[in-house]
Amino acid sequence: MSNAMRTPAGAINVERYQGAVAEGRFRRLWNANAPGYLFLLPWLIGFFGLTLGPALISLYLSFTDFDMLQSPRWVGIANYVRIATADPKFSAAMHVTLTYVVFSVPFKLTFALLVAMALNRGLRGLPIYRAIFYLPSLLGGSVAIAVLWRQLFASDGLVNAALSHFGIEGPSWISHPNYSIYTLVALSVWQFGSPMIIFLAGLRQIPQDMYEAASLDGASKFRQFYKITLPLLTPVIFFNAVVQTIEAFKAFTPAFIISGGTGGPINSTLFYTLYLYQEAFGNFRMGYASALAWILVVIIAIFTAFSFLTSRYWVHYDD
Amino acid sequence: MTLRVSRRNFVAGGATLLSLSALGTSALAQEKRLRLLWWGSQPRADRTNKVSQLYQSKNSGTSITGEFLGWGDYWPRLATQVAGRNAPDVIQMDYRYIVQYARRGALAPLESYMPAKLNLDDFDKAQIEGGSVDGHLYGVSLGANSAATVLNTTAFKEAGVDLPTQATTWEEFARMGAEITKAGKRKGMFGMADGSGGEPLFENWLRQRGKALYTADGKIAFGVDDASEWYDMWAKFREAGACVPADVQALDKNDIDTNTVSLGKSAAGFAHSNQFVAYQAMNKDKLALTNYMRIKADSKGGHYRKPSMFFSVSAQSQAVDLAVDYVNFFVKNPEAAVLLDVERGIPESSAMREVVAAKLDENGKVPLEYVSGLGDLAGKLPPPPPAGAGEGELMLRNIAEQVAFGQLSPADGGKQLVTEITQILARG
Amino acid sequence: MTEMTASVTAARPPSDINKRSLPGSLIIHALLIAASLLMLYPLLWMVSASVRPENEIFSSTSLIPSSIDLSSYARGWVGLDVSFGRFFWNSLVISLLVVTGNVIACSLTAFAFARLRFAGRNFWFAIMLGTLMIPYHVTLIPQYVLFLNLGWVNTILPLVVPKFLASDAFFIFLMVQFFRGIPRELDEAAMMDGCSAWRIYWKIMLPLSLPVLATAAIFSFIWTWDDFFGPLIYLNDMNTYTIQLGLRTFVDSTSASDWGGLFAMSTLTLVPVFFFFLFFQRLLIEGIATTGMKR
Repeated sequence: MSNAMRTPAGAINVERYQGAVAEGRFRRLWNANAPGYLFLLPWLIGFFGLTLGPALISLYLSFTDFDMLQSPRWVGIANYVRIATADPKFSAAMHVTLTYVVFSVPFKLTFALLVAMALNRGLRGLPIYRAIFYLPSLLGGSVAIAVLWRQLFASDGLVNAALSHFGIEGPSWISHPNYSIYTLVALSVWQFGSPMIIFLAGLRQIPQDMYEAASLDGASKFRQFYKITLPLLTPVIFFNAVVQTIEAFKAFTPAFIISGGTGGPINSTLFYTLYLYQEAFGNFRMGYASALAWILVVIIAIFTAFSFLTSRYWVHYDD
Repeated sequence: MTLRVSRRNFVAGGATLLSLSALGTSALAQEKRLRLLWWGSQPRADRTNKVSQLYQSKNSGTSITGEFLGWGDYWPRLATQVAGRNAPDVIQMDYRYIVQYARRGALAPLESYMPAKLNLDDFDKAQIEGGSVDGHLYGVSLGANSAATVLNTTAFKEAGVDLPTQATTWEEFARMGAEITKAGKRKGMFGMADGSGGEPLFENWLRQRGKALYTADGKIAFGVDDASEWYDMWAKFREAGACVPADVQALDKNDIDTNTVSLGKSAAGFAHSNQFVAYQAMNKDKLALTNYMRIKADSKGGHYRKPSMFFSVSAQSQAVDLAVDYVNFFVKNPEAAVLLDVERGIPESSAMREVVAAKLDENGKVPLEYVSGLGDLAGKLPPPPPAGAGEGELMLRNIAEQVAFGQLSPADGGKQLVTEITQILARG
Repeated sequence: MTEMTASVTAARPPSDINKRSLPGSLIIHALLIAASLLMLYPLLWMVSASVRPENEIFSSTSLIPSSIDLSSYARGWVGLDVSFGRFFWNSLVISLLVVTGNVIACSLTAFAFARLRFAGRNFWFAIMLGTLMIPYHVTLIPQYVLFLNLGWVNTILPLVVPKFLASDAFFIFLMVQFFRGIPRELDEAAMMDGCSAWRIYWKIMLPLSLPVLATAAIFSFIWTWDDFFGPLIYLNDMNTYTIQLGLRTFVDSTSASDWGGLFAMSTLTLVPVFFFFLFFQRLLIEGIATTGMKR
């Protein structure tokens, strides 16, 4: 408390103190919070202007019957009840999506990390390898992928041709309900270039002199990896894990292109968002589709919250 | 108070108007715009745009913009535009969706324009009916087609099997199919595609038995026995090797490129007559068209001539009159008919049919001759499918796949199909 | 370790540190080459399909075409009403704008979340993550109506403006994670020297974050290049179509598709993306890493 607050006799002038504090508090609040909010301004404008409104409307739509051609009709929780109790396609879609997430994310991240580490070591021809491993991701959701994947995984495709050299007669992977989902997993893993690049960026940010010092101290490469690389990489690993999982839950294009929008055979490639799309644009049931979407949001939110809460036990930040 | 215009003023005024419009000033000539949306690929776009240009040359002051997309992307774009009240003026419409769009108020009724502005006098009455919903005309048919079997005549010849005729029954055809498979002249080729999941095929089979898919008021028109027998028939075909196995049929994504005939996996496949030219373009071998098989030697009425697609006018359109005029031009102008050819189907107008028939090439003649030669194979056009028919079609295929992969017995498959479709129709 | 002089060092491949034996190196190369072939096979197939005669595309299984037929390229380029060059240009314009928007807006936002303290920060961060979870098919119609009312439909605005407003939570999250990996001591030293938040952002954070900014640029570009649903909904006029939309018009399930043209154009579309990647990856790799603060 500054001396200006004290009366000449040394006692505290309450009013002046309170006034000064109030003014100071405002100024302090402003100084403390203004920079943050100013930097946040573009995002806030975008959020309130472009995201919040449509999101709230879609939440409202989830309680309606909306065929897009006429006005929405309120039906309360009927959509949600139906999803929870009477929708076999919902369970099928959940099952397919969970399988996809559980298999594609770990494999994708593992490959991405291994290859990133291999490429980080300064091999000859490094830029070429890096580009090659990234190329598949460039094809994105191209229509051509459907054809390419059929060439690989149909009963007379390349994969079976390769297997036949080992005397194995493979099924038609891409058109058999038991295996078709795994061809989609393979597609996802094939496009591991994105998390790989992110891992590379993360590896690049680890100071080299740490490795030098560790070497001088006699640490083996394994120890270096375990004690230096891994801990310092945890923020990136966390990021990739969370984001790839969210994207896997939301995946749409691979299933859409490869199954021709049917999710077949026998719903074996019916990704959740594909089911949503069918309901919205195929069956004119936008209200129901909105309900499906919000359920997905909740599921993803639970997963993400869980990830963040447990992250403090293993993710190491430098701040 | 009436405005008295002297004859001299009238003539002078009229002349001024005429000369101004000849100059094309937008103020008075009021340039009229029309937006078109259709599905198809570049060949169809070329033809359609040429017709639009022809129309513009004959109707100065109009400007027509055409947009097109593939079938899969078309419906989301259309739905979004209609929902956003941004719909195009002239919309290409399908028999499957016309009821939904019409009943939900997205399309403008057109019967008041007949016959003066929209002259469909030489159309087959049934084809006009096909574009009507609840007594109003919502779509003008752009061409007729019928379901057809595509045959790879080269493969048949190689295997030493005669081609089926109009009299061939399913039993006979299955024997042919099994022979082709056994002959094994081509690696991985079977007799015919597995049609158990094909809605046109199922409908055709039902109609020959006096049943149908849906009644006029949108209820299911077949029973468990029918469905079970159908799945069972195909199960037997599969066992005998007459048709492709389950995992080969599952490659078919319901389009020309993944049909088992195009993939070289079968010598016969099931399609629509107006796709013939596209099929032949994709295949090195010589193809032919024939009908869907008869159940018994004297069964008839399975087929019908269906409007392959319509032009509808959006209810939100600001230029309905112009749109109707364009549609009339599209289906009744001889020059336009020649430009369009049979790419969208056989012209509905008998006059246009004559004009086009004279100019067709060998491949183009095939669908024309096929459709006109159906005879007693063709019956009455069924009413437009009810809402939910799209889901019903997917369900038929889904259960067919389950039966084919051995997850369901044909009897159970039939039961499930009826239950599911009844539920779908009830949901509305 | 703390005795070492802090300095800003360039990240170089530590080739002198880990000397490995020649056989080990060969094995790694062999594995990488094998893996590369595996990765590339589908693409090689596509390139091969683009230069072979049309009716051979699906019938022949070998990678080597029986003859080189470049007509697919010619057809694909001019076959549509609008030349493919136009689509390339449209895609380029949109993608570059999106990259700019994303890098600027997301770095500003991420800086706020990662480095600045303000009331409600955790709340807004949670909201930001929440936006990542919403599948776009569902906010599609309400957003379409919103843009329609703004008069932005049939322009590129709905595709570009949101990026300048940091709508891509993915990049915000990515940058936050990276910013948090940069030692705070630098910020604190700057603050003690009286630097404002903006100067810290501009002079310290951004230069040190080139790897993640390059990453964001690369991904932004590629995802926008590959996006078709946004253009499908918002671009009606064929002259404004992007590449992906143009490619899709080659294929129609109900009539004849031009697969040769599709593969030819698909191959071509890989080229700019590939070069964009090559160019920016140098930034990514030769980015600067710090060991600590300057004393």
